[in-house]
Amino acid sequence: MFGSNTQKGKKLTPFRRKEARAFYLTISPWLIGFVLLTVGPMLYSLYISFTRYDLLSPPEWAGLYNYLEKMPNDARFWQSLKVTAIYTAAYVPLEMIGGLMLALLVRERVRGIKVFRTIFYLPTVLAGVAFAVVWLLLLNPRGGLVNLGLKAVGINGPRWLLDPDWALFSLLLMSFWGWGRAMVIYLAGLQSIPGEIYEAAAIDGASRWDSFWRITIPMLSSTIFFNLILSVIGTFQTFTNAFVATDGGPLDATLFFVLYLYKQGFDLRNMGYASALAWVLFVIILVFTLLIFRSQEFWVFYAGEKTDE
Amino acid sequence: MSERGREDIPIRRLKGWRLILRYILLAAAAALFLLPLYWMIVSSLKPEYEVFAVPPAWWPSPPLWQNYRKALTELPFGRYALNTILIAVGAVIGHVVSCSLVAYGFAKLRAPGKNVLFIILLATLMLPYPVVMIPQYIIFSELDWVNTLKPLIVPTFFGNAFYIFLLRQFFMQIPNDLIDAAKIDGANLLQIIWYVILPISRQAIATVAIFTFQFAWNDFLAPLIYLQDQSRYTLMLGLRFFRSSFEVNWAYLMAASLSIAAPVIVLFFFTQRAFISGISMGSLKE
Amino acid sequence: MKKKNLFIGIGALVLASLAISACQPAATATGFETDVVVLRAGTGDSGEGLNPHQSIIADFEDQNENVLVQLEAIAGRDYYTRILTQIAADRAPDVMNIGDDAVPSFVEKGAFVPIDACLADLEFDSSVYLPGLLEPGTVDGELYFLPKDYSTLAVYYNKALFDAAGVDYPQDGWTWDDLLETAQALTEDTDGDGQNDIWGIQLPANWTTGFEYWVAAAGGSLISEDGTSYVGYMDSDATIRAAQFYADLYNEYQVAPPPADFSAFGGGNSEFDNGQAAMRIFGRWPQAGMLDNPNIDLGVVGTPSDAVEANILFWGGFGISSTTDNLAEACNFLSYYAGPEAAQTWKDWALPAVTSVAEMPEVADDPLNSVWIDELDDLKPRAYTFTPYWNESADPALRTALETILLEPDADVAAVMGQAAQDAQSALDELLAE
Repeated sequence: MFGSNTQKGKKLTPFRRKEARAFYLTISPWLIGFVLLTVGPMLYSLYISFTRYDLLSPPEWAGLYNYLEKMPNDARFWQSLKVTAIYTAAYVPLEMIGGLMLALLVRERVRGIKVFRTIFYLPTVLAGVAFAVVWLLLLNPRGGLVNLGLKAVGINGPRWLLDPDWALFSLLLMSFWGWGRAMVIYLAGLQSIPGEIYEAAAIDGASRWDSFWRITIPMLSSTIFFNLILSVIGTFQTFTNAFVATDGGPLDATLFFVLYLYKQGFDLRNMGYASALAWVLFVIILVFTLLIFRSQEFWVFYAGEKTDE
Repeated sequence: MSERGREDIPIRRLKGWRLILRYILLAAAAALFLLPLYWMIVSSLKPEYEVFAVPPAWWPSPPLWQNYRKALTELPFGRYALNTILIAVGAVIGHVVSCSLVAYGFAKLRAPGKNVLFIILLATLMLPYPVVMIPQYIIFSELDWVNTLKPLIVPTFFGNAFYIFLLRQFFMQIPNDLIDAAKIDGANLLQIIWYVILPISRQAIATVAIFTFQFAWNDFLAPLIYLQDQSRYTLMLGLRFFRSSFEVNWAYLMAASLSIAAPVIVLFFFTQRAFISGISMGSLKE
Repeated sequence: MKKKNLFIGIGALVLASLAISACQPAATATGFETDVVVLRAGTGDSGEGLNPHQSIIADFEDQNENVLVQLEAIAGRDYYTRILTQIAADRAPDVMNIGDDAVPSFVEKGAFVPIDACLADLEFDSSVYLPGLLEPGTVDGELYFLPKDYSTLAVYYNKALFDAAGVDYPQDGWTWDDLLETAQALTEDTDGDGQNDIWGIQLPANWTTGFEYWVAAAGGSLISEDGTSYVGYMDSDATIRAAQFYADLYNEYQVAPPPADFSAFGGGNSEFDNGQAAMRIFGRWPQAGMLDNPNIDLGVVGTPSDAVEANILFWGGFGISSTTDNLAEACNFLSYYAGPEAAQTWKDWALPAVTSVAEMPEVADDPLNSVWIDELDDLKPRAYTFTPYWNESADPALRTALETILLEPDADVAAVMGQAAQDAQSALDELLAE
């Protein structure tokens, strides 16, 4: 998967030892912060997941109750898993492709391109509450622009965020606004592809389509990899839009996992159960991430030499 | 003008129908992206009870420009902006400094246990914030840092998995020849980073900067619990002002949200050259 | 050049904000002599609702020179997230404002201290309040909270729409039948497009707490008196009748505009505010905004009765945190914050809790406020008072039930309520077994 560089029993050469020391030196800021500020709270939350804790009084040990009894019998748990899984499976490809398309659209230095780039990035800056409310307005079944527009072409629009069958789709619809972040990262990746390669390919008679698939995509693969991992990790934890626009409704149709966990922890004061839920999500995300990592060797290409082996 | 010139453009310039097609696509996409923004602006200029009116007005008559003045003077937004800027700038410095260093290690140095550590690094992104929020708060509370800006700035100097990952990907693209050449010239670790890595990675680092800035600008949960008295609030906390338990002042909320987002958008517009154009790899020949 | 842009951009921002902040009022005092006590007061109020807090605090600080009060305010739901985090870390504010349904669990877990003793030391007379207003703050006979504000439900009506349709204003003592008749008379499709343009009454959709009124007025209860059973209560005939009537107003008679959203705000429907709905049933909170609204010529009337006259109380109070270091000072501040002197300030923002203020002519004779206060005579107990597990066991089930009957006109209300009762019951049984 990563190459075997944990060579047990094989001593490191002095050169390698020096390099290892340098490595640990460079990562020391993160390592120190991890030890001081992160690992403690993470382990604490793991401990809490084995307790009943209402934040007002000390945690009470509950063993595996949260995991083995409460969770499997909790219909809303399964519902939130389903909602999150469906949304993630749909959104990740959309963001990956959509972000790339936008980046390709704006990479050229034509007139006014700076304005367009800003327009596409702008929504990611507009804070969560206002964003979601604007969509509530636009998707209002009776008075929102979307349905009014559909009516103009003779279609009776659905009730969007108020319809259990359409609510999740509505959130997906709203999500295109978030492609700006992926776009910026893709742009940075695109910029690092040397122009000479395209020139050489053109001389050899490659078409634009060819050079896209054979040059751009492979050279972008490390950026795609990055966006994919971050998208998966982030989308599984979707929270804000559902929190503001639908509060998980209607009828739990948009009950995202982290939203459900938040409600359990702060609205119902079941912090123990909320922590257990968080760790279940953690494991799920970890598994997917490791799978993607494993697949790296088949499709990700780094221009600098790989140093893992 | 700029000595950067045109290295960042792929060789084919767009001409003729390609250019027109490009503009059409851009315009269409932009219209889609601007629609919600347009609606936000329109809503912010309406009197409160018209915001959710059915059928909605396409443009308020008369447009209440004073909504902006009123919304922004209800609270000391200037002070909130200052607090937010302090946090954002501090976070940018913290992230740029620490994440570059750590990312270099993960990208270019070999050591036993590195891959495990990298997975652990990513794993820190996988646990939802609400459940680590409280134990972290307890830690900061013991340090007596609550109600200061410190819990929001100091941790950034310890790096952030997202940006470390991002920079690692970029650094891995840097040909080792450059580094080897510097080593032959006797450069030590820090010199390699400063003289070789950073100049090439300007756009990636600038990307980290703008993302950090924007995230700090929009962060809510952490300021919510760490900043207690109102003189230390950030802009996002100030936005919550327009909500009370049962009623929300939508028009003011929109006006305030737009005003708060404006500085970051302006910053993006003027600084995008920093992270979208840059020297492309191929033009470095040593 | 791009680096320069970056620096210019950031530099400009910093300069600009320094300039702006220089014109802002100074921050709260940070350097002070050692004998000054700083009290922290937390509240979920926001917006203009903070003005009375600030002026009362200013008055208190004038009278008590060695005390500074730091107000920590953040709206609604986020307020609870914050104070729960603070309580978990033993860093709660000295004085906290919480809502009625949070009282039993917070007190049971020891987050607040009883205040009978310290109030007695101050010779504070707690009988100054209107009857019934100390109850939500009392647990097991001990007083923990003083009332901050409260509201009942009432029906707002827009005289302009009534006049235009030639319908008589609703009168106190009216019934559900009267409500339906009135609403139907006012509902109109003015432009003939098959959709109603003027609605009879705007209802609060899936608001579970508000629904308790309907159940109470039908003579029912959502839970047994001993707090152990929803079956037989949440699905009782009275409850079903209430749910059916509520749903029918939306779907069958179509006198209520469809819900605009089910979000956490519930602020989506604005027909009443736009002069498109003749009536609205809700609490007193938006009244000030309605008085300023040119579309509305405002009147208020008590809730209609069905089997009985009923209403429910919404209440918020101030209490003292159990982790405070300054009990006596906090108590002193509390008695001021909620006491008769501050009540003069509160009365402009909310219904007065203090009897003497309620009896002042400007309050008692106010045609609107007197309606709210009179509704206090018909109070039925809130469901949360019967069990500390109400929020966790019944609220989600009830909310789902309401959403179902509102979204599906063909839903069998009896079956839906029966299901809700079952779901709530099994959740409750599990919690009681722990």
